[in-house]
Amino acid sequence: MIDLQTVNANVSRVPFFRFLNFEVQSLDSLHAEAGMTFESRHIGNPIMEHYHGGIIASFMEATAAISVHPDFADVPAKPINLTVDYLRPGVKGPLYARANVTRKGKRIASVSVITWQTALEKPVAEGLYHFLLV
Amino acid sequence: MAEITKEKMEQIAQMWNARGKGLITHMALEIEEVSSDGVRVRMPFNPDFCVDSDQTLLHGGILTALLDSVFGLANFVAIEGVSTMATLDLRVDYLRAARSRADVIVHAHCFRKTRHIAFNAGSIWFDGHEDAEIARGTASFALTRGDTSLFEAMTKGKAS
Repeated sequence: MIDLQTVNANVSRVPFFRFLNFEVQSLDSLHAEAGMTFESRHIGNPIMEHYHGGIIASFMEATAAISVHPDFADVPAKPINLTVDYLRPGVKGPLYARANVTRKGKRIASVSVITWQTALEKPVAEGLYHFLLV
Repeated sequence: MAEITKEKMEQIAQMWNARGKGLITHMALEIEEVSSDGVRVRMPFNPDFCVDSDQTLLHGGILTALLDSVFGLANFVAIEGVSTMATLDLRVDYLRAARSRADVIVHAHCFRKTRHIAFNAGSIWFDGHEDAEIARGTASFALTRGDTSLFEAMTKGKAS
């Protein structure tokens, strides 16, 4: 299994992942967990200073891609599609994501992702992502 | 739906441009067309949004963010008296690899609005390649209606 330092070195080479500014915190063959730092460029609602829904979805997609293919050489795993359920506003502060690979076949992987801030029991969003592995 | 007045269009453009911070400002979105058929917005190419070291391949997430943003705009245009709006859910299909340095064009509309919910759909392509759609999305939004419209709060209170 690839070590966290190598994964985070890969992450830091991806321009959009630097824009998101997150770090992979744990990893095994079927899971990835990451934490993202709040930045003003992540704001969707400038009055309330909530995260933009698209940033939350992007962070979930990034974590999901790493869970299916953590040792990507050039570009992360190819996304096919996604669905996201927004459950609570993402407020100013760190956001965490946990990706679970539900199924990894020869060609397709299905990944479920959950994001939260204070407690996993109070999710900010849940998502389902498909990736093409060929 | 009522015709959109020139005044309202200007207010909408002003609202987007006066945000001063946040993702929409960073995406440097330009409103190209606002009509009862929906809205068309341009996002200039930005290497920060790429995944590869050559910086020619956009990350899917930025396309999702773009759809989410422009759905919001389409709802502002289509629905009167909305005080807050929150994305309930979002589905995006990535139809082909988003490899280009061209500007990105997105078209979105609200195809059904009720008292509490708005339903949206949109498409994305690279400028000049409308026949090669790169992503398509649908979403639903929860609306709260009231006297203090978010639209007014944002056009009047442009702090920065």
